[in-house]
Amino acid sequence: MPPTPRKRLWAVLPAALALTLAACGGTGTGAGAGAGDTPASGAAPADLTKALDTPVTLTFWTWVPNLDKTVALFEQRYPNVKVNVVNAGQSADEYTKLQTAMKAGTGGPDVAQVEFFALPQFALAKQLVKLDDYGVASLRPKYTASAWSQVNFAGGVYGFPQDTGPMVMFYRKDILDRLGLQPPKTWQNFADAAEKIHADDPRNFISSIDPGDAGGVDSLLWQAGSRPFQTVTPTQASVNLKDAGAAAWSALWSDLLRRKLVDPVPGWTNEWWQGMGSGRYAMWITGAWAPGSMSTTIPKTAGKWRVAPMPQWKAGDQVTAENGGSADVVLTTSKNKTAAVAFAQWLNSDPVAVKSLSDNGLFPATTGLLADPAFLDAPNSLFGDQRPNKIFAESSARVGTGWQYLPFQVYANSVFKDTAGQPISTGSDLAAGLTAWQRRIVEYGEQQGFQVTSG
Amino acid sequence: MSTFSPSAPPGDVRARAPGTVRGVHGLLFFTPFLLVFLVAIAAPLLYAVYLSFFQDRLVGGVTFVGLDNYRRALTDGLFHAGLLRVALFLAVQVPVMLGVALLAALAIDSGRLRFPGVFRIGFFIPYAVPSVVAALMWGYLYGRRFGLVGDIGGWLGTTLPDPLGRSWMLASIGNVVTWEYMGYNMLILYAALRAIPGELYEACQMDGAGEIRKAWSIKIPALRKALLLATVFSIIGSFQLFNEPNVLQSLAPSVVTTSYTPNMYAYNLAFNGQQFNYSAALAVVLGAITAIIAFTTQGSANRSGRSR
Repeated sequence: MPPTPRKRLWAVLPAALALTLAACGGTGTGAGAGAGDTPASGAAPADLTKALDTPVTLTFWTWVPNLDKTVALFEQRYPNVKVNVVNAGQSADEYTKLQTAMKAGTGGPDVAQVEFFALPQFALAKQLVKLDDYGVASLRPKYTASAWSQVNFAGGVYGFPQDTGPMVMFYRKDILDRLGLQPPKTWQNFADAAEKIHADDPRNFISSIDPGDAGGVDSLLWQAGSRPFQTVTPTQASVNLKDAGAAAWSALWSDLLRRKLVDPVPGWTNEWWQGMGSGRYAMWITGAWAPGSMSTTIPKTAGKWRVAPMPQWKAGDQVTAENGGSADVVLTTSKNKTAAVAFAQWLNSDPVAVKSLSDNGLFPATTGLLADPAFLDAPNSLFGDQRPNKIFAESSARVGTGWQYLPFQVYANSVFKDTAGQPISTGSDLAAGLTAWQRRIVEYGEQQGFQVTSG
Repeated sequence: MSTFSPSAPPGDVRARAPGTVRGVHGLLFFTPFLLVFLVAIAAPLLYAVYLSFFQDRLVGGVTFVGLDNYRRALTDGLFHAGLLRVALFLAVQVPVMLGVALLAALAIDSGRLRFPGVFRIGFFIPYAVPSVVAALMWGYLYGRRFGLVGDIGGWLGTTLPDPLGRSWMLASIGNVVTWEYMGYNMLILYAALRAIPGELYEACQMDGAGEIRKAWSIKIPALRKALLLATVFSIIGSFQLFNEPNVLQSLAPSVVTTSYTPNMYAYNLAFNGQQFNYSAALAVVLGAITAIIAFTTQGSANRSGRSR
């Protein structure tokens, strides 16, 4: 899922209205139909399947469109289980409701979609069922390494990876061809291409950078080798937005912004999509989930786009990062935890389910599907004759290891626009913005009782 | 109805002292409101005050901290900057909006317009548009590249200042709010104008006064109370400013920061930062400031009204 999906509000107004309505109606109940619940300790996979033979009703919060189709497959397979799919809003909107329901102790769902960056926060507050108690460790080989590491927090597994966003570079072949440019292999190539594109027509840019999107910058830092957020123990964290990777990123992008070679505007707005459709932007470096949104929002550009690996900091490297992605978690307030775990596990590991999720636009988190020739060779008319999934899968395998989020990343990301976003929009020194961001994060962490060390 | 005195049938009540009966009846009529008031207004308010004396940390849990949250609010630069911003908004936007509403009400009441009903409804319709939708709509119009602002700039052959930029954002929000609430305020003023007795106009006409004089000497003085009411509502509305900047934030994230208005700040602290307690303290402080300014406005208006 895109890192800031609420911005889609601006893409289509009617959709925004529908979303608001859906959000208003989003009150699920966790009350099940009386299936006795096994206490969370050592339930073996056999018990999980058994839980699905008992009549039970589960509530599932997700904002993925068409996910009810996959859920329908589940209900066919396990007719005793009824799953209410509720759209409780996207991303932060859902977390607000989830937070409130958890605080109230009732009204929350059994299973909820939570983005990777928000998972530690809910896990720390003991609001998520620790899945190790249900014997899910055996699932590890089924998922990509980076997806699995992102559902881990402080030595426990707290979610089933639902989708991921390995970073790639989408570029307009027609624009690059016209200017005689090759898709940039390194960030230096990227800067050179940026200069040529802007010189050709000062209204055009190689790409944009969103001053409000912490997730986008996190991903670029991740690929640059920066590991700014570390959770040492559940109560000890460290923040270092001044490490070598962060310095390299801010030097390059400060320069691009100062020379006005990239456009510092928020993404996902009406104007931004217009720009994507009209050739104002020649590239979009983001997660592999993007093609779905592109096909529906800018269908007229179909065939003009191509995919390439993202630019590298050192020629010859093949390092990538993730952007977005989410997991399905089971809430501790659920009255049917075993059935909820079994459902979430089926949804995100059964081959039928992951195929259905992928068909509905989610980029897979499972290695099985990522190695499936039928998946890898699937064409996509957005990219002409290219088979994009191959490049996506390669990116997925090359994600830099060791990235972590803070147990209060939701807040940290929310104040990105107040701090690091400022120099992005004014074109001044990004390193100073990152330092300001770090200060706000550390201050908050200490207020919340964490021991925070900073770089 | 039988619930109010389960021990005696309703007929017996009449036999008692008439004063008590009236008291009981009064209470009966009052009870539904009182219940809703207690549950929906008094209880949440008291709960917010209660919450504001605690601190709930992600590590360490809930502790009683007395007035610490209020002390923090006193020194919180982000909160103060937000307060100053809405105060500036209040000082400029409210007089403009009420001035336009007054002109519109006087125009419709003058009897010189051809289809006053059409104007009345026309001015009022924006109020029926939810503020989130209004802000979305204006967000499109404000676009410099594909929006109306961009088009106008194109026709004029120049680049207009960015309505969503740092220096114009507050004015742009003021424009949206004025568009939304002008009709509502006009209706308050217009209703007051309709309540002016016709004899006054007749007397005025006999004295040879024209429309302007009539407006200045009869209508505007008669609007005192209605204007005061509209002002107090607008003061409260300004301090509560939330929907419009919150929607426009997606278009200008680095301009509309998380602490742009005090309400946005409290919201972000509570729901993104889980600082419900500090957020409750901010809400209490904000409520107190709003109440003081609203009462002061009312009080000073009443005093000057008596001295005339």
